[in-house]
Amino acid sequence: MTNAQLDHLIRMANQIADNNTHHDTESEAVEMVTTHLKKFWARAMKQQIVEYALNDGQALNPVAKQAIDQLALHYAPASK
Amino acid sequence: MLQYFNPKTDTPISIDKDLGTPPSLSENQVSLSIDGVELSVPEGTSILRAAALIDINIPKLCASDNLEAFGSCRLCAVQVEGQRGLPAACTTPVHDGMQVTTQNYKLAKLRRNIMELYISDHPLDCLTCPANGACELQDMAGAVGLREVRYGFSGENHLDAEKDQSNPYFTFDPSKCIVCSRCVRACEEVQGTFALTVDNRGFGSTIAAGQKEDFLESDCVSCGACVQSCPTATLMENSVIDQGQPEHSVVTTCAYCGVGCSFKAEMKGDQVIRMVPYKGGEANQGHACVKGRFAFGYATHKDRIKTPMIRDAIDQPWRSVSWEEAIAFSAERFKKIQAEHGRESIGGITSSRCTNEETYLVQKLIRAAFGNNNTDTCARVCHSPTGYGLKTTLGESAGTQTFDSVSQADTILVIGANPTDAHPVFGSMIRKRLREGANLIVADPRQIDLLSTAHRSTTLHLPLRPGTNVALINAFAHTVVSEGLEDNAFIASRCDQKAYQKWRSFILEEQNSPDAMAAITGVPAEEIRKAARLYANVKNGAIFYGLGVTEHSQGSTMVMGIANLALATGNLGREGVGVNPLRGQNNVQGSCDMGSFPHELPGYQHVADEQARGRFEQAWGVTLDDEPGLRIPNMFDSAIAGHFKGLYVQGEDIAQSDPNTQHVEAALKAMECVVVQDIFLNETAKFAHVLLPGSTFLEKNGTFINAERRINRVRKVMAPIAGKEDWEVTVDLANALGYSMDYQHPSQIMDEIASLAPTFSGVSYALLEDQGSIQWPCNEQHPMGTPIMHVDDFPIGKGNFAITQYVATEERANRRFPLLLTTGRILSQYNVGAQTRRTDNQTWHAEDVLEVHPHDAEERGIQDGDWLGISSRAGQTVLRAKVSERMQPGVVYTTFHHPGSGANVITTDSSDWATNCPEYKVTAVQVEKVSQPSEWQQNFERLNQQQQSHLLKGRKGRQEKEAG
Ligand code: SF4
Ligand code: SF4
Ligand code: SF4
Ligand code: FES
Repeated sequence: MTNAQLDHLIRMANQIADNNTHHDTESEAVEMVTTHLKKFWARAMKQQIVEYALNDGQALNPVAKQAIDQLALHYAPASK
Repeated sequence: MLQYFNPKTDTPISIDKDLGTPPSLSENQVSLSIDGVELSVPEGTSILRAAALIDINIPKLCASDNLEAFGSCRLCAVQVEGQRGLPAACTTPVHDGMQVTTQNYKLAKLRRNIMELYISDHPLDCLTCPANGACELQDMAGAVGLREVRYGFSGENHLDAEKDQSNPYFTFDPSKCIVCSRCVRACEEVQGTFALTVDNRGFGSTIAAGQKEDFLESDCVSCGACVQSCPTATLMENSVIDQGQPEHSVVTTCAYCGVGCSFKAEMKGDQVIRMVPYKGGEANQGHACVKGRFAFGYATHKDRIKTPMIRDAIDQPWRSVSWEEAIAFSAERFKKIQAEHGRESIGGITSSRCTNEETYLVQKLIRAAFGNNNTDTCARVCHSPTGYGLKTTLGESAGTQTFDSVSQADTILVIGANPTDAHPVFGSMIRKRLREGANLIVADPRQIDLLSTAHRSTTLHLPLRPGTNVALINAFAHTVVSEGLEDNAFIASRCDQKAYQKWRSFILEEQNSPDAMAAITGVPAEEIRKAARLYANVKNGAIFYGLGVTEHSQGSTMVMGIANLALATGNLGREGVGVNPLRGQNNVQGSCDMGSFPHELPGYQHVADEQARGRFEQAWGVTLDDEPGLRIPNMFDSAIAGHFKGLYVQGEDIAQSDPNTQHVEAALKAMECVVVQDIFLNETAKFAHVLLPGSTFLEKNGTFINAERRINRVRKVMAPIAGKEDWEVTVDLANALGYSMDYQHPSQIMDEIASLAPTFSGVSYALLEDQGSIQWPCNEQHPMGTPIMHVDDFPIGKGNFAITQYVATEERANRRFPLLLTTGRILSQYNVGAQTRRTDNQTWHAEDVLEVHPHDAEERGIQDGDWLGISSRAGQTVLRAKVSERMQPGVVYTTFHHPGSGANVITTDSSDWATNCPEYKVTAVQVEKVSQPSEWQQNFERLNQQQQSHLLKGRKGRQEKEAG
């Protein structure tokens, strides 16, 4: 995986989180983001971001990070 | 007694017949007798029309049923019992008990005298006249029995008036003009441009374009309405002058924009002589624009790809091969890639220009034969946020109205759209409604032409900063709620209360007030309040929006904001209101409906929905992936990362139309097999290994769906240039991949679509043949389709207010890139321009230019025509300058119709958060004077020459083969 590709995924995940922050509770926002990722991201993209969140995750904003942690329950990280 | 009948359904009268004056919409019936025949017609009908309905054809010259009657030729004089004089039938409405005589000695004599006067000033060169056989003056001379002309031709006349041939598509020959003013009225009433005038009076009167300019220099937009309405050869298509009158015609649908105009392709053998907008077409009602009417010559252009071609690598010349060889070559490569790199290593792109049937087959091939969901379409880069936003709020990914519904709107709100250029026929309909008294609000960074429509009611322009749409719509909604302008009854009965309450408290937050948002949008708070009141206080408020809404980092949010506003004001579910996306290309709606997106099967059914997927699995006989596939930008990223290796592209030019060209090119170069199916060697094909000749809309059968969900038939008028319609090629490729497809005709593909997509279940070619067109949903509940959506409820039950928090785009002006670039299009060119650049439409727009505000120009010492280097964080290109006050200072503007301009070299990969629709409408740039093309452009030229020579070799090879 190139860095450019991962950078894009991180940026996209953060952007989705930023656009869903306005909910009553943070857990609601997290759920919106998780649902969005589940519904619209390809399997490979999910696996890549999950792998990143598990190993590093620094560049993800808090809502995105939690959402991807949720995602990790269903999608195994990408195998190298 | 004969009742008035609807000519569309129950009459022997052909839709093509000119009934003389427009229909009256009155519900009151009036009874009268004409030449002893009793009949009843709606109040307000003219005598001329009433007579025509019972096939009594009163001679006429200045009347036509698409124009208001003018009463100037007097040829239609009739006698009315008990009334003095001989009134003109076209300007006299019927009344109860009226007794009309249309033929007697007195009338015949009068008509002959009139004709004699006309003919005395008319060149009698009928045999060599291009209108010969299709001239109303000729017909009338015959009808009134004109036998001699006593005045001679030597007196003062117009016979040697000079021709105006400035327009590339039609000629104005004033020597043949009878000054009936039909052209003037067509330009005003049908097109709304007011380019023509009648100069002088009486005998000396003549028709002139603008202030005695020629047509090309005048305000004329070359829509052709005047040409169509001219009863003589005065205004005539050059194609008819050159080739003669057509002998047969076929009704079909325009392949340019999302208006989806119906046309009669008028033919001579298999040659199209002219395209005439079809009166029976419900979207366009007999009108068209310069693209659809005139720009069809590309179909027979010498650049058309006529044989399949292949090559092993993209730096090699092409080789012409048979269809079998090209298909086998592609299938083998795709299979090999999948064997080496896995099932998900290839994908495909469907086209918004191809038919529904073709699009459906391509996504089916990808899902069933490739075995993954890596399908996407160019709608990704234009209207994907519409799908997301409208589905979330209203429950269906489509506009809510018919075009015609605008004729009942009281306030028309246009956001980020430029209808007079991008959707010209609909633009004319809006203008007509404005002249009738509707208010206009335009939210757009640019001063669009619609704003210059002369009308009496209120016009407001909200020139917001690019990228601040959501701030604007929130301030709008804030005003509506805080001033109590909502439609509480509608909200109570039609909307989800929990969502509403949540939204209400959100929108009332101070951050969303017009005063707080003014700093962001640059639009004064008072202007926003005025606009909100103007929209919410009228009976019918209608919203139309375009790519200026969707192509933003918050495109989806903005679409939801628009839907919120319509919900809050109850502007949904009836005529005259609604939320209407103006689709760019002809079949954007259809390509989305047909399951082109990686997460949705045809009919917007999610791939993870087990029931829906199950039905597809059963019908297609395969197991389908339950995970979404890659979107176009994800495919590119994955290609550069080395995972994604093969692509089947039908009818799209991603190398030109997608943002950040250099990134796209790198991705294409990284692939091992790119199969491009197109009518020309497009930019993407320069990176391809297989080139499969496509067919134009004139060469195939199928359907398109326009922006009002209208399914229109596309009919074949000539044989495909390379022997196959596009759907046949996809069938062959699927079979070669080992997945069997067996269709004899596109109608069978539509039957399959109807069996799988619930909103299409009632659609069939037979029904389309019968009805002309159908607006989906068309199913058991709505067997004849659904012109207006959401009348009783929403597909999701209750309307859903969505929270639309404004989040500033990352693409901001800064010290390095202090200006904001926004992009758009113009009337004469279409999208990437592959078609229109190969027609005389070039006359109007031979290059893309950069529009710069005088203030920014002065600061940089820029003058009209200077070469400008434009750089962004993605790249650099060079365009010519045009100093213009259409934008505010700080904003520059260009179009992207020409590949060499490289407008997309500078657009970035910033995109909509929900759908990855690229943010074309905002790029931070710097502009400076330069002396030479950019490096990208120089490379582009080099590559272009190389690839053209590769193509030439391929073509030569074929000729040698054929000769040998
Ligand atoms: S140009 Fe044609 S339509 Fe116009 S006034 Fe002359 S004859 Fe009539
Ligand atoms: S072509 Fe259209 S715009 Fe031009 S003069 Fe005729 S009606 Fe008017
Ligand atoms: S381009 Fe659009 S408006 Fe023009 S003729 Fe075609 S469908 Fe109609
Ligand atoms: S047709 Fe009635 S006056 Fe010309």
